[in-house]
Amino acid sequence: MAKEFKTIKTEIRLPYELAYGATWTKFFEGMENEIIYGTKCSKCGRVLVPARSFCPRCFVNTDEWVETAQEGTLTAWSYVNYSYFGQPIKPPFIGALIRLDETDVDFLHLIGGFDLSDFDLVRKTVKNGMRVKAVWSDERKGHVLDIKYFEPA
Amino acid sequence: MGRPVAIIGVGQTNHGRRMDVCYPDLVREAVVRLYEETGLNPDDIDGVVSGTMPSMMEGVALTHFYFADAMKAAGKPILKTETCGSTGVSIAHTAYYWISSGMADLILAVGHEKMNEGDSQATMTTVAEPFYQRYFIAGAPGVFSMQSQMWSVRYGLEEEKVRDAAAFISVTHHDSAFDNPYAHIKIRVSMEDVKTARVITYPVRLLDVCPNSDGACAVLFASDTMVKKLGLNKVAWVKGVGYRGEEYYFGDSDKAVWQSAVGAAQQAYNMAGIKDPRKELDVAEVYNPFTFQEMMFYECFGFCGLGEAPDLVLKGTFARDGELPCDPSGGTLCTNPIGATGLIRTAEAALQVMGKAGDHQIPGAKTALSHAMGGVDQFNGIMIVGSEL
Amino acid sequence: MPGKVAIVAVAQNAGAESKDNFYDQAYVVTKEVLDKVGLTREDLGTIVSASSDIYHGGISCANSYYWETTGAFLKNASRQDGESLFAFFYGVMRILTGHYDTALIISLCKGSENPENDACTLMYTDPFYTRGIGLQETMAAAFQMRLYMERYGISEEQCAKVAVKNLQNALGNPYAHKKGRYTIDDILNSERIIDPLTAMQVAPKSEGIVAVLLASEEKARELTDKPVWFKGYGSSLDSFYLGDRDLLDGQLKNAAERAYKMAGISNPRKEIDLAEITEPYAFQELLWCEDLGFCDTGKGGEFIDSGVTQKDGDLPVNPSGGVLANNPYVSRGLQRIVEATLQLRGEAGERQVNKEVKTALAHGTHGFAGQCHAVAIIGS
Repeated sequence: MAKEFKTIKTEIRLPYELAYGATWTKFFEGMENEIIYGTKCSKCGRVLVPARSFCPRCFVNTDEWVETAQEGTLTAWSYVNYSYFGQPIKPPFIGALIRLDETDVDFLHLIGGFDLSDFDLVRKTVKNGMRVKAVWSDERKGHVLDIKYFEPA
Repeated sequence: MGRPVAIIGVGQTNHGRRMDVCYPDLVREAVVRLYEETGLNPDDIDGVVSGTMPSMMEGVALTHFYFADAMKAAGKPILKTETCGSTGVSIAHTAYYWISSGMADLILAVGHEKMNEGDSQATMTTVAEPFYQRYFIAGAPGVFSMQSQMWSVRYGLEEEKVRDAAAFISVTHHDSAFDNPYAHIKIRVSMEDVKTARVITYPVRLLDVCPNSDGACAVLFASDTMVKKLGLNKVAWVKGVGYRGEEYYFGDSDKAVWQSAVGAAQQAYNMAGIKDPRKELDVAEVYNPFTFQEMMFYECFGFCGLGEAPDLVLKGTFARDGELPCDPSGGTLCTNPIGATGLIRTAEAALQVMGKAGDHQIPGAKTALSHAMGGVDQFNGIMIVGSEL
Repeated sequence: MPGKVAIVAVAQNAGAESKDNFYDQAYVVTKEVLDKVGLTREDLGTIVSASSDIYHGGISCANSYYWETTGAFLKNASRQDGESLFAFFYGVMRILTGHYDTALIISLCKGSENPENDACTLMYTDPFYTRGIGLQETMAAAFQMRLYMERYGISEEQCAKVAVKNLQNALGNPYAHKKGRYTIDDILNSERIIDPLTAMQVAPKSEGIVAVLLASEEKARELTDKPVWFKGYGSSLDSFYLGDRDLLDGQLKNAAERAYKMAGISNPRKEIDLAEITEPYAFQELLWCEDLGFCDTGKGGEFIDSGVTQKDGDLPVNPSGGVLANNPYVSRGLQRIVEATLQLRGEAGERQVNKEVKTALAHGTHGFAGQCHAVAIIGS
């Protein structure tokens, strides 16, 4: 077997500052006020959420703003039970794709509001196609986690 | 279209946890093996294409600098191709276009990754959208779990059957890895082992997931004139290339029928003149970091109908002795140095049609498909090779 | 050359810091270049982008992020890292194979979101040896400048002249980030950040989303009546360790020789009408002019003294202001193509040179002291 030689432990951290621009700024202002904003494509008519400045498929500006529903249907979910460096949310948690009512893409967020420690119980509770609704945090900061999670409706 | 291009040689490292070598020496191991195998000399090369996954996976940026000497690329024209997980196949595409355009006759393509030196899921999470999606995407397993779920719900697949088929893939690929001298994970596993392994991201369990590997792969591409000049007869001709990508936002595109996978395969089949892939292909090296996803690829690539994969997997259609053997090398499931992985798929496909795949040779293989995918469940790339021009 | 490829449209955004969103800006530039020739997203053939994760706002696998902003939804696209002229060349190849009749080349770098350039260039080093020493691009350039002055008797004033010329040229460039009328003393008296380099001899950190639309000969004639033709390309990579190289005998000669051979150029000084070159450090413009064969080895100082490279000179170099005026790291090579194209088409506005421009050279370099060079020749 190969002999193991010396290694060095190191960590790379670099500071970046990212510009929201107009569309994200308005989207997060919405979050602060318990509004989920989407934008509608004038060509294909799809409502995209979160809001976009353009439709990726039609390649035209999307200038119509839409306040989307805060309830929707679960498209897919994933029970996350492992961790890694810098993970923003402590496992276990449930990442999910949610089709908010009257929108045309899936919105990525969390499923929660019940005990996540028992995986078998989670599997009984969470099913694709189930109805879910947004639960807002009391202290909102214009951040994606202003919605704490979506809970079974 | 363009000039014919062939793969004339392959070099791979012994993939695995390679803390016995520093990163440039790992890259060099593959390049040296390629030159030993082909008997050619770095001086003969017109240019080099290299690539890795995110540049910063191992904490070094613009790695073509770091590996200039290991690849013997100093003084050479260079291209640096990176397309996330599909990098390996994109490197192969770059080499193909370079020669096919008439601008070169001999191109060295090198893919590399030393996963054990970084935190792969932490790095991959930085691929996700920073304002909104990064919080919820649990690295690659999180995304792929959701995708496989969307697929099984769409086609009303029984959970038990899908679970069994995925376990079957895990068992057979792990067995195959024993016949591949370069493979990383070599363990015998049973159906029961796979089905009761620890949940990583439901429904994906530990033995459904690829490892973190250190490895590099070097492939030599040549023009038809160069093949003739060198008097080579066992080469792998590039018959088809295809690539497609979808939106960045996970949730924008349907992932149950994966349009980029369907489109990439279609583009490659059109070029190769393939109409019935299950019949016309002899072997496929599908990029399969997750067992469940491999079945979706079978469907998207037209190996079977939508929703049919689990039944056929359990019937052995895609096993080593089946109608269309998939991943006889053990595949990505047993070896995944990401930036090299796609190129390893192409290299393995080439070895098969050259009749040089050793203990995992599919007898008489003439046409082979290789594949890689990447991005936030976004990109799919294909290269088809054949023994005849 | 197996066939002909033309540049049919170009677009770029301003180099100065902006709080606009990166993703949104990328879409705007793509849209602009397509609209210029009335090409729809559906009709666009292929896309090759350039970007580097280290210069990409901390987002890895950069092209995942901007994929659809470049019109690439369900298209065959690829990406090059480090140098945008790589992407230009790859796009040319894709058209020459006959698979595509149009290719969008787009380079994306939003300097305002990134750390200082040298925090990034430090990451080119190996983790065991050169990183511990703190080697980065500006330090390597300072080594090279000192060597250049000592070996060939080039003066600091001659180096500073490059900055004077380029920052003044930039006054005519609405996209330039830094510009102004300065004296040699202003340049030399600016902060001596890494001796012998002073602050004004070092390029800034700029924004730059730069797009070039390529087309096959047939398609080009359909899309524009002012095609600019691809003539030649060459690149060359150097060894990794700085200590293994002669910093004054680098790879640019190789890259240029390859490009000249493809373009059929035997006397670059006579046959090239204008050059846009990448000079992140002022003295490098002099050294690169030597390596490109515009003047003899060691004569870069006399060359700028002669006035030939001024905007109204016989061989204008960087009439746009070059990289000292605008430095979106990855995008700067492709930006040279854009500027050279505008000059060839007579569309460079206030920075248009007075002479007739038929053949132009665009040059890109990245890494330590010219660690990798790429040269493209284009012509009307």
